[in-house]
Amino acid sequence: MKNTARDWYKDAVFYEVHVKAFKDANGDGIGDFTGLTESLDYIQELGVDCLWILPMYPSPLRDDGYDISDFYGIHPSYGTVEDFQKFLDAAHARDLRVITDLVMNHTSDQHPWFQASRSSVASPYADYYVWNASDRRFADARIIFVDTEKSNWTLDPTRREYYWHRFFSHQPDLNYDNPAVRRAMLDVMRFWLDRGLDGFRCDAVPYLVEREGTSCENLPETHAILKEFRAVIDQEYGGDRILLAEANQWPEDVRPYFGNGDEFHMSFHFPLMPRLYLGLRLEDTRPITDIFTHTPPIPPACQWGLFLRNHDELTLEMVTNEERAFMYYAYAHEPDMKLNLGIRRRLAPLLDGDRRRVELLNCLLLTLPGSPIIYYGDEIGMGDNVYLGDRNGVRTPMQWSRDRNAGFSSVEHAQLYLPIITDPVYGYEAVNVAAQARQPSSLLNTMRRLLATRRTSSVFGRGSIEFLRPRNSKVLAFLRRHARETLLIVANLSAAPQPVELALSAFAGATPIEMLGATAFPTIRTAPYFLSLGPHGFYWFRLERPGDGDEPFGIERTAI
Amino acid sequence: MSAVAVGLELPPDVDRQLDGLPPMELAVGVLTYNNAATVPTVVDAIRGGLEKHLTGTPAVLINADAGSSDATVERLADSGLPLVRAQHEAPAAQLGAVPFHGVPGRGAALRLAVGVARRLGVRALIVLEADVTSITGEWIERLVRPVLAHGADLVMPVHARHRYDGTITNLVLAPLVGALLGRRLHQPLSGPRALSARLIERVTAVPQWPESGRSVADLWIAGTAITDGLSIHEARLGRWRVESSTRTVDLPTMVAQTLGAVFALMDDYEDLWLETPIGPPVPAEGPPVLPSDEPVQIDVERMVGAFARGLRDLGTIWEHVLAPDTLGDVMSLQTDDVERFRFSDDLWARVVYDFALGHHWSVVYRDHLLRSLVPLYLGRTAAFVLATRRRDAMAAESALDAVATAFEREKTYLVDRWR
Repeated sequence: MKNTARDWYKDAVFYEVHVKAFKDANGDGIGDFTGLTESLDYIQELGVDCLWILPMYPSPLRDDGYDISDFYGIHPSYGTVEDFQKFLDAAHARDLRVITDLVMNHTSDQHPWFQASRSSVASPYADYYVWNASDRRFADARIIFVDTEKSNWTLDPTRREYYWHRFFSHQPDLNYDNPAVRRAMLDVMRFWLDRGLDGFRCDAVPYLVEREGTSCENLPETHAILKEFRAVIDQEYGGDRILLAEANQWPEDVRPYFGNGDEFHMSFHFPLMPRLYLGLRLEDTRPITDIFTHTPPIPPACQWGLFLRNHDELTLEMVTNEERAFMYYAYAHEPDMKLNLGIRRRLAPLLDGDRRRVELLNCLLLTLPGSPIIYYGDEIGMGDNVYLGDRNGVRTPMQWSRDRNAGFSSVEHAQLYLPIITDPVYGYEAVNVAAQARQPSSLLNTMRRLLATRRTSSVFGRGSIEFLRPRNSKVLAFLRRHARETLLIVANLSAAPQPVELALSAFAGATPIEMLGATAFPTIRTAPYFLSLGPHGFYWFRLERPGDGDEPFGIERTAI
Repeated sequence: MSAVAVGLELPPDVDRQLDGLPPMELAVGVLTYNNAATVPTVVDAIRGGLEKHLTGTPAVLINADAGSSDATVERLADSGLPLVRAQHEAPAAQLGAVPFHGVPGRGAALRLAVGVARRLGVRALIVLEADVTSITGEWIERLVRPVLAHGADLVMPVHARHRYDGTITNLVLAPLVGALLGRRLHQPLSGPRALSARLIERVTAVPQWPESGRSVADLWIAGTAITDGLSIHEARLGRWRVESSTRTVDLPTMVAQTLGAVFALMDDYEDLWLETPIGPPVPAEGPPVLPSDEPVQIDVERMVGAFARGLRDLGTIWEHVLAPDTLGDVMSLQTDDVERFRFSDDLWARVVYDFALGHHWSVVYRDHLLRSLVPLYLGRTAAFVLATRRRDAMAAESALDAVATAFEREKTYLVDRWR
């Protein structure tokens, strides 16, 4: 049932999917929109609300589509704009919303705007990019891709000037000081929103504007431009299209991207993610609780986006050096597993395929404040291949079945855009949708149950959070509250069974109802409330006071 | 503190209490757990009933207690009647979250009461609930008279209830148990009942009682009596009012516990139902008491809404449980216009039977299976209310008869798929 609220994104669970990786319908070895459309029933049954589509635009694909050469088209390998429209309509027919990546900061160097810009200083596009005669401006800006780039400037032999790029040298930054660029980007947005798209995940937004003597990140001028975009979209599209910011920054630096509720609707909470892994490995709740003490409140209409993994490396930019060293020690014991300041592995192999730890992290993903984002394949515990270079190891074809090419494509194996995962533990013969769909206790069906349970309460998406501080620091316990409803989440970060006593006297008389099994637990008294948890076990409780909860049907007291 | 009853032998302290008692003709078992507030009412009714209707009949009170922490046991001891008291085993989980019938480990309590009654050589054992405050002395007479005067072996209760009371019983338990055991019982899981010496002998001869944690013992006793060809009666007891602060009133829990008990019986005791034919109506004794018919507030719209949410959220579970045709029929039910919402008896019977089969074959985790029935039950209940709320009580009774008939008609569907 479609959530028609304007702030639907606060209740939503997102599913991140790469078109090329999901389903190949035309048999060329690359996934396409027709295949994705055919797979919508699966996505709907999973129980998510909104798809986030990675870049699908024409591109030389030197950065997996984040180097866009035409904002108005679909990459020919994925289909056509008409195919996209059919996909979007089919998703909407299933009450699924769709947002797509939009790279605002830069284009491919193959984009006609850049080709025109480099060709002549007299071109109408000459100022679409940031040019300079030397490579010595903006020296305080850090280099992000430290493994591949030595400078943020590259000399263009045609124009004989340096152009500015915060990412790869083949991705020149657009010049947002130029009003024509801002108008052009708004027109791009209108093109897709006119087709019914529900919003954009805006890539690399902190870097839109550059100023001398600054880090060239998070500048006030950048925020002003983003607010301008938001106002236009709200005004022209009724207020239910969303903008999701990718700003890999500390929470206090991300906070301005929400503005006063007039900039981005959502932003990723980057620092939380590595601390979930840290807490799990250390068997200590403090990394998780500490990051929330450093998370500022956000406007009521805004929402954090939470994730465990995504299409990039597991970024460790937002941790201390000591924490990063521990993360490498714990989760990237082979050099090939590291990339930039991160780890290029999928969720299941990061957790050694330990089903209980996978479920525990998903429990936290679904219960901490924010809207969860699930990366395709993680719902079945897909593996990775760190030897495929760059981040390709976490972008391999979806594993549908144990048929040829994992049911992804009918081509010869060698023609696939990337090889299928075939290792004995995570290979498609062991890990695939068809097998897990048939097995009631599979990870896939567990995820479906968790997601279905999450849908039963708006507290998950909208509630406040209050951490309980039990003496046993291996057990994370927190209250989520919204309106008259209170949830209690208890999670054991330890691989060993743990007891815990919770100070719940404020809820004396209430009965905890375990939400996944709808089981009533003993009533809370004024004494500490005792629970025991199995290894990496967790509880989702709804605290029901006598007379609380839904209005009765009128048959309860005499039903038997 | 009394010893905990385990195994077939009675606990030593119970043995010692029995050694001092003369032979008895009648035993009244009161199963208790923290019922200090209501047990005096029950004791008054017992004493009054014995004095008025069974004068001179040697009778003993048996108190099987699950471990009350209040003054329940002491208040029973003040009754002035000969008393045998014992504490029985009870699953820890049921002590914390008390089941629908109010007695943690009710199976063990029944076993204890039956064991004591057998040792005392009684002609009849009456079993009562300690939190039912509508009990009168007439209940004692109506329950025991069929045993003592008409050769009944098992007397089950019939309560006079509002047509929309007991919807789990009326729409699920009674038709299901009736079809399984071949005899229509109005309240198959209600607590009050009476057992003859013959039935007591029969059930105490079985070395393994049902596990005490699953609330199966009541059904097992009834099924055993029917399968053995013993005489079953019903007694019209009148209004039924419970005053309990411990019995669960959580709807999903009640559905899971009651239906789980029936499904457990089906799994463990196939001989009691699989080939049992539909038998004659069960004779009922006692004057008919008209159920109350005052208007009640039932939110049918919310019930249909809960059913619609089940369609949305539980499809992935139901598709494991329901046969494709049944699932298709359920998914086709129209919920847009509540006033026109319908849920046929035959479809309902197949739904419940598919759940029984799903439970039997463990197609999904059994507790989830049972709880996922709740939206379907709410939908079926809403349909029942919609179909009968503007009609008289007789029409509502006819509608329930039609449900029972549908379950009997569809039993072959269940049996064919069970083996």
